[in-house]
Amino acid sequence: MIKELEEVKKDFLNEINSVATLKDIEQLKIKYLGRKGIISDFMKTIPTVPAEQRATYGLQINTLKNEFTSLIGDVTRRLSRGAIPRTEKELFDITLPGKQPPLGKKHPITQTIDDVKEAFARLGFDVAYGPEVELEYYNFDALNIPSDHPSRTDFDTFYIKNDILLRSQTSTVQIRIMEKQKPPIRIIAPGRVYRPDTVDARHSFMFHQVEGLLVDEGVSFTDLKEVLNQFIKTYFGKDVQMRFRPSFFPFTEPSAEVDISCSICSGKGCSVCSYSGWVEILGAGMVDPHVFKAVHYDAEKYTGFAFGMGIERITMLKYGIDDIRLFYENDIRFLSQF
Amino acid sequence: MKISYNWLKEYAYFYLSPQELADKLTNAGLVVADIKPKEDDFFLEIEITSNRPDCLGMIGIAREVTAAVGGSLHLPDTDFETGNTDITNLVTVSVEDPLLCPRYTARVVRNVTVRPSPEWLQKRLLCIGLRPVNNIVDITNYVMFETGQPLHAFDLDKVPDRRVVVRKASNGEKITTINGAQRVLFHTMLVVADSKKPIAVAGIMGGKETEVSESTRDILLECAHFEPRQVRRTSKELGITSDSSYRFERGTDLEGVEFASKRAAKLMKDLADGEIAGEVVDIRSRKCKEKMITLRVDRLHTVLGVEIKRDVASDILRRLQFTIAREVNNFIDVTVPSFRRDIDREIDLIEEIARVYGYNNIPTKTSIHIRSSGKTKYEIAEDCIRQCLTGLGFYEIKTYSIVDTSSLQSMHLWSDKEPIDIANPLRQEESRLRMCLLPNLINVKRYNANYGVERVRIFEIARVYLAGDTLPHEKTCLSVITDADFYSLKGILELLLQQLGIPSKGEWTPFKEPKLFKDERAAQVFLDGRVLGYLGEASKELEFKTQTSLLELDVDLLIESANFTKKYQVISQYPSVIRDLAIIIDERVAWSSIEQCIADIRIPFFKGVNFFDIYRGKQIPEGQKSVAFSLCFQAQDRTLKGEEVDIAVQTALDTLREKLGAELRKI
Repeated sequence: MIKELEEVKKDFLNEINSVATLKDIEQLKIKYLGRKGIISDFMKTIPTVPAEQRATYGLQINTLKNEFTSLIGDVTRRLSRGAIPRTEKELFDITLPGKQPPLGKKHPITQTIDDVKEAFARLGFDVAYGPEVELEYYNFDALNIPSDHPSRTDFDTFYIKNDILLRSQTSTVQIRIMEKQKPPIRIIAPGRVYRPDTVDARHSFMFHQVEGLLVDEGVSFTDLKEVLNQFIKTYFGKDVQMRFRPSFFPFTEPSAEVDISCSICSGKGCSVCSYSGWVEILGAGMVDPHVFKAVHYDAEKYTGFAFGMGIERITMLKYGIDDIRLFYENDIRFLSQF
Repeated sequence: MKISYNWLKEYAYFYLSPQELADKLTNAGLVVADIKPKEDDFFLEIEITSNRPDCLGMIGIAREVTAAVGGSLHLPDTDFETGNTDITNLVTVSVEDPLLCPRYTARVVRNVTVRPSPEWLQKRLLCIGLRPVNNIVDITNYVMFETGQPLHAFDLDKVPDRRVVVRKASNGEKITTINGAQRVLFHTMLVVADSKKPIAVAGIMGGKETEVSESTRDILLECAHFEPRQVRRTSKELGITSDSSYRFERGTDLEGVEFASKRAAKLMKDLADGEIAGEVVDIRSRKCKEKMITLRVDRLHTVLGVEIKRDVASDILRRLQFTIAREVNNFIDVTVPSFRRDIDREIDLIEEIARVYGYNNIPTKTSIHIRSSGKTKYEIAEDCIRQCLTGLGFYEIKTYSIVDTSSLQSMHLWSDKEPIDIANPLRQEESRLRMCLLPNLINVKRYNANYGVERVRIFEIARVYLAGDTLPHEKTCLSVITDADFYSLKGILELLLQQLGIPSKGEWTPFKEPKLFKDERAAQVFLDGRVLGYLGEASKELEFKTQTSLLELDVDLLIESANFTKKYQVISQYPSVIRDLAIIIDERVAWSSIEQCIADIRIPFFKGVNFFDIYRGKQIPEGQKSVAFSLCFQAQDRTLKGEEVDIAVQTALDTLREKLGAELRKI
């Protein structure tokens, strides 16, 4: 840079550092950048410079002009805010919060269903769906539930008409799939189910279940245990323990309820697990021969297992949610947490 | 089922702490829900599944304990000497309805001294939460909890004519039950009656009049079998449940009646100094059929996947009190004890063996073959929609499928047919299956507004229920609410169509639904002539404080039309040329006509047209508008020349003038 320009720059920096008011800065601006200002004067000298140096010279003037403009801008902004000491450089505060674009979330129930689907897809299970408004046949008869079973009453099942109801379990999909398809079968069926329970922290007249079914030749209880073991390890974690307890369901035999070690207290005992160290997460069992009979499968040739679990329940366990109603209130402050 | 730890030890020998006992029972399928210390004893609450009424007595539980830990079952002594008088001289019993009461036994215990029970008995009852009354009543309770068979003691002197009939009640007949309440009976209910009136609601509760008191001398001890269905129905109709009805409803052991009766009589003799009359009245119309089942050992292996040896299997069955009739090669023939009404088939025996063998002793391993599983088109599309919308800042919500009968909820967006109502709703607010999703989203928006979140972006993917032939048509819909105007939401719909690989932008017609949409700011959208859905700005009636737009779409149609096969299009190496234009055109001409007009010209190198602005103002004549857009031109093989583009633009302008009366706006 030529000497004159360097001088100008030095003067400018001195002057801008002693500027105290917006009026001062305005005067400074006029002095250097005005139509008759110092920079303008230099511009006028360009044609007088030898042709081969003209470009560089012009560039230097321009750079200087940009520099001055930018500095005057900074100081003007600072002075109009009036907060920051004028002699120090503005703080670029990297600790200020970022500007977040809005991001939505899938409902926690969808997230759980997706996780369950994903875990079972890796074990070769397809996803199947069935109607929510169902024939009594699929919800009860074909599932070996006796005609006088209490679950068939008005107190436990919503009815539309005589033999048409709102399914009270996703096990209905087992029958619909087996009616259409020959073994081997490997499906899970997520969906909404309905029971006339008065709504409170633990009960909801609508909730979600996932049903699983595997039928083939030579399928045994050990397979059931291992498949559920794989799922539990995937979904709840490698350290989680599993326990099978005998239970009773009309459509499986032998039937089991499956517990996992309580994730809250790691099995030591707490209020979530009623101080037992275990929490029940699903029901399962070997498909009852009566069910195979209903779908015209040869119960001697084929064996299989089925399982079912409540999506809300495992979601509540996983996240420590204590009130099932939260899922259906759809408070954004709730939904945004997952 | 409530049990006492000390009491249980009377029937089974075990060296287990209460907690160890609880673990054993839980692992055998009898879940211990609670353990509490009670003085020098422990109380255990056991959940009994509906198929195991045999475990509603202490002896049944003891049987499970011995099956689990070994040892033998010890049954109480029921031998006694009787007095000289036979029961036939003391009471007449008849059963008019043998179907509902297949067995009725009566014993008479004379000259009893009614007084408080001995301490040991009181303590046991107290441990399981029963209040001791007097020795006679306590004995009937004690034996019920011991055997699972309910019994009832009548004061025989208060039974007129000493005559007992088991019959149907007549309509309007009344009885005051021992808890002091008066009940009106119906002809469907079964009662135990004297010669005139009911003295007990069969299997549920005794009457006040014949209740045992301190002055009672002679006891009529009833021990019977009542039909489960009958007891369940009457109990529900009268709204009374008792320890007795609980057991009869689940089914008692037809063959266990005699044992319980003898046991109670003996205790009355021992603890109330009574004299047992000779003989027993035992009126029965049915005998429990002896069930013989064959178990194949190889089938046991197939189902359980673990080799359990034949002798191990038969030993388990024996411990559960099955009789092994024959055991040879692959077969075990067993006779099922009468109290195990739940066992009918080979698979039932397999479950018993698995249960006692221990589910947790069966290995966790598998030999199922690998199999690949991919997503269906339906799942890919649903995932795609969710991903798009959440990425754009929308929260997914889930709302109830069962809604109220308000006019908003009953809107016929998707079908003109009648809504589907629930025959037995919980409340009027939840009595109808929803026919569209938007009303619930509107409610969720209001709910959040009440908590200070006025502007929400939400969506739901769920089914609506439309009347069909046998079963309703369950259509999957997508509903969206956003805090922006019509065009912003329309843009989101266009994005969704693009992401689902649907080339169409839909066919749009104006739509009126004042309950939902602002007039002239709503549309019905079609896809190839089929209704895809509805989109519009929220009606004033909805009273939202901020700008709101609503959308509801047929997801089934979206998915059907979706196409996820993608093919790469060669990107031109040469720049495209964009020309911005503004035309003045009649107010009534829609953009779609302008777009169509330009597309129809088939201008060489034309790539597309992009709308950017509509202007109405001073410089524009009344009844007209200025529409600004850009035209894009590109060649695959060279850079277009300015003159070529000029000609193309002029062609477009000429056609627009000719067809739509548009003039280039001079700036």
